[in-house]
Amino acid sequence: MEDIKKQVIKDWVLEYSDRLYAWALSKTSSIETAEDLVQETFLAAVVSFDNFKNKENPGTLLYSILNHKIIDQYRKKSSSTSSLSVLTENQAIASTDGLFNADERWMNRSNKSLWEDETQLLDNNEFIQIMEFCMAELPDKWRIAIGSKYLLERKTDEICQELNYTTTNYWQVIHRAKLLLKKCIEKYWN
Amino acid sequence: MLSCKKATALIDKKYEQNLSFKEGFQLKLHILMCDACCVYEKQSKLISKALSKFFQTKVSVDKDTIENKKLKEKIISKL
Repeated sequence: MEDIKKQVIKDWVLEYSDRLYAWALSKTSSIETAEDLVQETFLAAVVSFDNFKNKENPGTLLYSILNHKIIDQYRKKSSSTSSLSVLTENQAIASTDGLFNADERWMNRSNKSLWEDETQLLDNNEFIQIMEFCMAELPDKWRIAIGSKYLLERKTDEICQELNYTTTNYWQVIHRAKLLLKKCIEKYWN
Repeated sequence: MLSCKKATALIDKKYEQNLSFKEGFQLKLHILMCDACCVYEKQSKLISKALSKFFQTKVSVDKDTIENKKLKEKIISKL
């Protein structure tokens, strides 16, 4: 690697790695995973260094790489236990559209709620496992939106800025993701 | 009258940003008359809570930085 590039990234490591590590640890709860993700973040930064437009502000960039890696970690975890595979955005939209008929009414109007006792379900490991199983299906962009909201607990405007969404795109993605999860959970939870 | 498809979208929009007066009114009216959407509202809330719970971190890290000298050296050696 060219010396200047190497020196710049080395400075970034010295300045940012402790902060990135603390963040990764708080989100993964694993020292080993957090260390790996921070290391991968800098190695990814090296690879795409020449494409970075904003080299004066590496913090934003490094956090963004790391955040994607943290969310991806959960994808790997759920896909290792799930037989479902990631849908494309079009497939996922078709799947959620399939919940409604041509008049935009529910296809299945049975109102027996399988999920009546809320507090009990939240403490039910099997229910949470089925949700994890179903999350394997979410298209990548939807997973990142869900992960940014619920895992990284980032604010809507930050998520929109980073994912290049309007606020309308954003809530529609969250909405579609929830419909897809509902459909999948109803299929497997009985 | 709202369709169920639009009503469910408003149910989720409500938690992400405010509904206009008209949207809020239409949604309330729809839910009063539609059991399936009333069920969806409960499910949507439950999914939100379940997602928060699923992603809840088991250890809390209070500090913004944690010194990890070994990690620094390891990364620098790999550059």
